[in-house]
Amino acid sequence: MTATSLNPKPPVRVRIRVNRLVLYTVLVVVTGLFLGPFGWLVLTGLKTSAETAAAPVHWVPEVFQWHNFADAYKLIDFLGYARNSLIIALIYAVLVTLSSAWVGYGFARLDAPGKKTLFGILIGSMMLPQMITLLPTYLIFAKLGMVDTYWPWVLWGLSAAPYLVFLFRQFFAGLPRELEEAAIVDGCGYAQIFWRIFLPQSWPVLSASFVIAFTWTWGDYIAPQLLLSTDRTTLAVAVMTSYVTTGGQPVTNLQAAGSVMYVVPILLIFLIAQRGFVAGMSTSGLK
Amino acid sequence: MTVDQISSVADRPRSTASAGRGPAADRPRSSMTTRRHRAFYMFTSPWIIGFLLLTIVPMAYALWLSFTTFDGISPNWHYVGLGNYRELLNDSVTWDALRRAGLFAVTSVPLSIVAGLGLAVLVNRPLKARGVFRTLLYLPAVVPPVGAGIAFKNLFDQNAGATNGVLTLFGFDALGWLADPYARYVLIMTVLWGAGNIMIISLAGLQDVPRELHEAARIDGASAWRTFRSITVPLLSPVLLFQTVTGVIASVQTIMPLLLAPIASTAGTTTVPQSNYLYMIHVFAQYFALGRYGYASALLWVLFALILIATGLIFKFTSGVVFYNVDPEAKK
Repeated sequence: MTATSLNPKPPVRVRIRVNRLVLYTVLVVVTGLFLGPFGWLVLTGLKTSAETAAAPVHWVPEVFQWHNFADAYKLIDFLGYARNSLIIALIYAVLVTLSSAWVGYGFARLDAPGKKTLFGILIGSMMLPQMITLLPTYLIFAKLGMVDTYWPWVLWGLSAAPYLVFLFRQFFAGLPRELEEAAIVDGCGYAQIFWRIFLPQSWPVLSASFVIAFTWTWGDYIAPQLLLSTDRTTLAVAVMTSYVTTGGQPVTNLQAAGSVMYVVPILLIFLIAQRGFVAGMSTSGLK
Repeated sequence: MTVDQISSVADRPRSTASAGRGPAADRPRSSMTTRRHRAFYMFTSPWIIGFLLLTIVPMAYALWLSFTTFDGISPNWHYVGLGNYRELLNDSVTWDALRRAGLFAVTSVPLSIVAGLGLAVLVNRPLKARGVFRTLLYLPAVVPPVGAGIAFKNLFDQNAGATNGVLTLFGFDALGWLADPYARYVLIMTVLWGAGNIMIISLAGLQDVPRELHEAARIDGASAWRTFRSITVPLLSPVLLFQTVTGVIASVQTIMPLLLAPIASTAGTTTVPQSNYLYMIHVFAQYFALGRYGYASALLWVLFALILIATGLIFKFTSGVVFYNVDPEAKK
């Protein structure tokens, strides 16, 4: 006891406490900075138009304009666009999850000549910038008359996403071999084995894949912007482009309120589905 | 809280229920093998067909377009051979856009990796409520680009933005953040805002670093920084390499400059400030403002080739540096 107090350096316990204090301060400040942009978006959504244009910044609205949210909902056909977003995101997420599980099973549990090459192409295609294929794809869809329909999302959904295929492959490859052996001996087809035995096992990946695909599509701006007309487009496009006066001037406060309503469902989905979401993200990163 | 328990889907416990079955059970018979082969193609065909129709065909179509003057409307298009590529090489706008895109990639990617890794180390400490910190730091990474664009547009607004509010509070002049030359910094900050993504992935890597290694280093008297540099970073290097490659690819195809522009449009020529006029924005402008499908397709193919080269170079230069830890468990 006395030995420590004679030591010119502060006792270990105090040093640890100071360290922790610094650590917490840094964390709180950084977290504050990360939440700042979204907090400012909410505040902007609660201001009057005058306050969003004033030169000395109004940190907090004088009177919280809660009706901005109702106005933002009415100024554009918010519900209609949200429904379009929901339909497209559901179509894509359901189809791509099933097709990716199907393809992932093939890569995990079956083999044939050429499998290695195909898997290499699959992994390589994850690195192909989608924007490069999207523009010519758009021209082709336009030629086929599929612009302003939801067919592109059906086709994209049916053709599986490499990233999700990889997730499913990793999961199915980790399951024990005995799982299908008995079924094969009994003469079950592979499709049946997949549906009856493997798919029911894969709930964690199925839900992760669904959430990932759903948030991708909900968040996508460029594909609906290119492929859908103003009426049939998604909330992402509408929030970005439709909050304007008849003169074409942006309505800042209502756009902020509208974008909060656009973003919050995704944040909620993430908070609810956090575990699967994060597990999915980190597994793929560890490739 | 749940972010705490990152577990790879691949290392779920394996059932040993019927481990007693001998190798006799899986002796291949030739009809069984053909069935398996046929089943493999049945299962992978959705992706194979989709890849052919929605990736290979469009890419081939773009390649063909790149040799023409096609604009989507005029029937009087003709072949120009390598004309578009020749024009591209002599177009200073293209070169400037490419240079900006390169600069954006080499700044935003390393910065966001350092930020993400730093955050991961911070929230990997034994802290109270670290699950809450992890969740809150990750949250911006889930915000869709449109939400991020609108948020940053308001945050950096010249008059009513919080950033200029803080600057003037400390006696500095308000800056035109969304215009030249500052818009490029706002663009980089939108990338850094999503660093929680890299944090989560690095965190999973950090938790895989064997505890004994850290303990051994501490016993040998290594400083915290030395341990981080010589143990943590090498063990994380495959994750960091993956992040670099995906980061570069994400940076070349970002449309954030369009979303930060005062009025969003795919045409992108007039409203995007010069300093955010990246290569992909140039492609959009050629496609949609000018309808030059041929020239824009040549731009896309050049970008594709450049990405292949860049990825190849990244793998080549890191092949001696990246350390792949062979997990003995994985071989079982």
